Amino acid sequence: MNFVFPNEANVTWTVMIVLYPYITGLVAGAFIVSSLYHVFGRSELKPIARFSLASAFVFLLFATLPLLIHLGHPERAFNIMITPHFSSAMAGFGYIYATYMLLVVLEIWFVMRGDFIARAKGKGPVAWLFRLILLFNLEENDATRRADHKISRFLAGLGIPLACLLHGYVGFLFGSLKANPWWSTPLMFVIFIFSAIVSGIAVLIFHYYIVSWINGWKTDHACVRSMTRYLWGFMIVAVALELLEVLSIAYKQTEEWEVLSRLIENKLFFSYVVLQLLIFSLIPFVLLGISVLFRLSRRVANALAWIASAMLLFQVLLMRWNVVIGGQLLSKSMRGFTSYFPGLWDKEGLVMAAIIFTLPFGILWLFNRAIPLFPGAAGDSG
Amino acid sequence: MNRKRRLLAAGLMAGASICAVLLGAIIYGGLSKEQSSVTIALLVLTGGGTVVLATLGLDQLLSIHRIAGGEKLPVADYRHTFRLFALVALVLAAALIARRLAVPESFGRYGYFRAAAVDQARDFEPRHIGEDGCAGCHEHKKEVALHDKDAHASVPCEDCHGPGWKHAADPKKNKLPKPKGKAECLVCHRQLAARPGAFPQIRWREHFRFVGVKDMDVACTRCHSPHEPLYMDRDLRKARLHPLIQRCRDCHIGRINEKLARPENHPAIFECSYCHQDIVRDFADRPHKKIECTTCHIFVKQSEFAGRIIRDADPRFCLLCHGNADFRSDSAPPGIDWPDDHLDDVAEKPEDRKKSCIDCHRDKIHKLREVCKHEP
Amino acid sequence: MSRDDNISRRDFFKFLAAGSGLLLVHCGLPSPPPGTRKKDYDWNKHYWAYAIDTTKCIGCCACMRACRAENDVPPGYFRTWVERYRIDAADQVSVDAATKDDFVFEELPGNVVKAFFVPKLCNHCEKPVCNQVCPVGAAYRTRDGVILVDSEHCIGCGYCVQACPYGVRFISPRSHTADKCTFCYHRITRGLPPACVQACPKHARIFGDLEDPTCELSILLKQQRYRVLKPEMGTHPKCFYLGLDREVV
Repeated sequence: MNFVFPNEANVTWTVMIVLYPYITGLVAGAFIVSSLYHVFGRSELKPIARFSLASAFVFLLFATLPLLIHLGHPERAFNIMITPHFSSAMAGFGYIYATYMLLVVLEIWFVMRGDFIARAKGKGPVAWLFRLILLFNLEENDATRRADHKISRFLAGLGIPLACLLHGYVGFLFGSLKANPWWSTPLMFVIFIFSAIVSGIAVLIFHYYIVSWINGWKTDHACVRSMTRYLWGFMIVAVALELLEVLSIAYKQTEEWEVLSRLIENKLFFSYVVLQLLIFSLIPFVLLGISVLFRLSRRVANALAWIASAMLLFQVLLMRWNVVIGGQLLSKSMRGFTSYFPGLWDKEGLVMAAIIFTLPFGILWLFNRAIPLFPGAAGDSG
Repeated sequence: MNRKRRLLAAGLMAGASICAVLLGAIIYGGLSKEQSSVTIALLVLTGGGTVVLATLGLDQLLSIHRIAGGEKLPVADYRHTFRLFALVALVLAAALIARRLAVPESFGRYGYFRAAAVDQARDFEPRHIGEDGCAGCHEHKKEVALHDKDAHASVPCEDCHGPGWKHAADPKKNKLPKPKGKAECLVCHRQLAARPGAFPQIRWREHFRFVGVKDMDVACTRCHSPHEPLYMDRDLRKARLHPLIQRCRDCHIGRINEKLARPENHPAIFECSYCHQDIVRDFADRPHKKIECTTCHIFVKQSEFAGRIIRDADPRFCLLCHGNADFRSDSAPPGIDWPDDHLDDVAEKPEDRKKSCIDCHRDKIHKLREVCKHEP
Repeated sequence: MSRDDNISRRDFFKFLAAGSGLLLVHCGLPSPPPGTRKKDYDWNKHYWAYAIDTTKCIGCCACMRACRAENDVPPGYFRTWVERYRIDAADQVSVDAATKDDFVFEELPGNVVKAFFVPKLCNHCEKPVCNQVCPVGAAYRTRDGVILVDSEHCIGCGYCVQACPYGVRFISPRSHTADKCTFCYHRITRGLPPACVQACPKHARIFGDLEDPTCELSILLKQQRYRVLKPEMGTHPKCFYLGLDREVV
C-alpha cells in the first residue's frame, strides 16, 4: 500500500538543493586543505595550497546559484539578510555566506598580492584592473610580505570554524527537522562537515592530476601522499558516521524504522546501498588503504589516488542526493513514497545542474590564466 | 611633523568617540523614526570622515621608522593594508545601513512578521454566502421551505449549487447550476465501506432492481425531489424521539445478509418486536412484509441512545415505489398514476382528494395501533 | 534685492502648507493595528480552534470542493483533504484520498472489516515548526491563533513545507510562495465560519472560539475525549480529533 499526503506528490527540494551542499562542501574541503598549509604548517601541501584557495573562492562564487534558481522569488533573496529570522538555520545563510566570502576574498588578496603586483606593473586595461584590485598601492618588500603572511595566517585560522559553520549549518538544517525521520538526527551536522572535507580533498587531487597531465608536469609526490592520507582518514570517519546513523535506528527499531527500512530496501536500494555504500565507499576505501599502507611505485600510487578521488567525488554527490531527495521520497504519512527524477531541460533540471557544476571549473581555468595557480610547475616543487 | 601627528591623533579620537556616541544612541536611545534617520545620516558622515582621515593619515602616524625603532629586527609593514580594511569597513557600514532602511515598514510590530500582512490576509471577499445568504432572496420559494424540513436540511445549498457570491451580485447574469444526474447524488449516497452504517447509502443497481426501475440512465431526481427527497410530512428536527433503532449496517460493513439468525453472543440490539409485538406479527401477514419497518418509519439517529422517527404518510412517499412511470419494469411494485387517474377513480367526495394513501389502504400495511398518548 | 525677489509671507505659508500636505501624503497616516480598521473585529478577543468528529464524516468531500472554490486553490494542491482508511481481515491497512478531478470516493475491492474517513487540514499549532524555520519571517501566527503566510515577503524556499509534520503546506505554482489553509481568515474575521465547516452536511467539522466558554467547541472539548495528530512532535496542534483511530498518522 502506498499513500502519500496529497501535497507531497511533487518534491519541493530538487536537484538544485542537492547541488548546493555539494558545492559548499567542496568550498569547505578545499579551504581546509589550504588552511592545513597556512596555519598548521603542513609544508608538503605547498604545491596545492594556492590552487585550493582559488578553488574555494570560485566554488563559493557559484554556491548561491542553485539556491537562486530554486527560490520561488529570487528577487526577494535579500530578505534573508534584511529580516533574518534567526530561529531558522537557513537565516544564517546570508550573513555566514557573506562573511565567509569576504574572508576568502581577503585571504586571496593577501596570499596572491605578489602576483597581483607583477601583473599590475604591465600595460593595458588588465594591468589597470590589477592596480584597482591593489587599491593603487604597489609597495612590496620583505616587511610587507611579512605583514601579508601574518594576516593570511590569521584569516586562514579564522576561516576554519567559518568554513565548518558555512557547511555545517546545512547539516543542521536537515538534522534539526523533526518532521522527517530520514533527516532528523543530531549527527547530521557532523556528517555533512566530514563528507565535505572528503569532497574538497578529492576534488583537489582529481584536479591536480588532470592539470598536471594536460601540462605534462610531474606531480609532487609528498603532496599527493599527504592528501591521500588525509582523504583516507576523513573518509573513514565520514562513512562511519553515516553508517552509524542508519544502524542506530535499525537497532532501536523505533516506529519510523518500519518505513525507513522500506525506503532503504526499495526506493533507495540502488542509489544508497549499491552505489553510495558498496561501490563508491568500499572500493575507494580499499584503494586508498592500499595506497597508504603499502609502498607502491609512483605511477600506481598516483593512479589509485586519482581513481579513488574521482569515486569519492561521486560518492559525496550521491550522499547529498540520498539525503535530500531520499528524505522527500518518504511521505510524512509514514505509509508510502513518492518519486522524483529531475527533468532534462527544466529550470531545475539536469542540464542546468550540469552547467552549474562545470562553470566553476571554467572560471578556475580563467583564474589560472590571470594568476598561475601552480607555481611549482614544470617539474620543480618550489 | 609632531603637530601634524598630534592633530591627526586628536581628530581620529574625536571622530571615533562621536561615532561611538551616535551608535549608542541608535541602539539604546529609543529614537523615533525621524530621529533615527537623522542620527544614521550623521553617523555615516562622521564615520566616513573618520575612516578617510585614518586612511590618509595613519600612513603618517605609523611610518616605518617608528616601527623599526632603530633596531635591526625583522619587521612587518602593514601600511598597504589600511586602504583595503578601510574599504571593507565602509562597505560593511553601508550594507548595514542599507539593510536597516530596507526593513518593511510594519515589520516587527506584533512579532517577527510584517504586520500589514494580516490586513492583507483579511482582504478577500467571501465566496460562499451560506444558507442565510440564499434565504435572503429565496426564502419565499418552495425549495427553501421544504429543504429545511426534510432529510437534506443539514446540506447547505452551496454544496450542490456551488458558491453563491457571483449569483448574489448579479442573479440574472450568473445562474447557478442545478445538478440533475445520478453521479452528483452518488457522491454522498454511494455505498462505501467507510461510510457510517447509519447514513443512507445504496448500491444503485440493487436499488433500481428493488424498486423496479429498468432504465439504467434514469436520474435519482425522477423520483426523489432534491429538496425533499423523502417527502416527509413534518419537520424532522421536531419529530418524535424514539429509542435507538439499530440496523445491521450500523456495525457491519459490506454485504450483509440481514435475514441471518444472530449468533449466541451477539450484542443486544433493540428490535421493533420487543415493544410492538402485535404490529410486527400482523405486518408479517400483509403484502409489505418484505419491507423493513424503518423504510417507512424513517429513523434518524440523534445520539447513541435515541433518534427522531417519522411515520411518513405523505402520498408522494408511497409513490416512490408505487408511482407509474415509463422507466418502471414489470417486476416493480403495483403502481398507479398519480394524482389524476387514481384519484379520479377512487375519490368520492372532494375532501377525499386530500387523504393520505393509508387512509384507504390500511389493510395493505399493518393493523395501526393508536398513537402513543405521551408523544412530545 | 528687488521686491520681486522676495516672496510674500502669504506665499511662504502657502508653500509650507503644501509641502506639509505633500509630506503627509507621502508618508501617510500611521496605519491602525490589524483587525481594527473595520472596528468590528479585535484579534485579542478570539482564539480560534477546530474539532473534527471522524465518526460523522461520510466522505462526500464537500469540504474539499468548498475550500477549492472559496480560496482558489490551484489544482493538484490541497488546503484540506479527506483520507479513507480501510482495514481488512488480515489487519492490513490501506489509505487513500479522493484527490482526482472532482473529489469523489469510489468503492474499492477488498474484504474490509473496518473503514472510516478522516478529514485533514492545517492544525494551526500553538508551537508551529513552520514559523520556527522560516528564514525571513514570512510564516507567522496571529494573536487570534491562526497561522498565516505573508506571500509578499515569502521567498519560496520551501523550508516550511519540509518542516510541517502534517504535510499541509505546499508551494503554490501560482504565487511561487508557501500556501496553506488559513482557517478562511477572511471569513472568520467577518463572523462567518470557514468554508469547509459550512459545507459539511454531517456536522463533522466544528469551528469555534476557545475564548468563548459557551461556544459549541469549548463545550465539546470539555465533555468528550479527543486526541491530536502526532503529539510526539511537540507542536501542540489546535485541531482536535474525536474518535481518532490508532492507525491515523
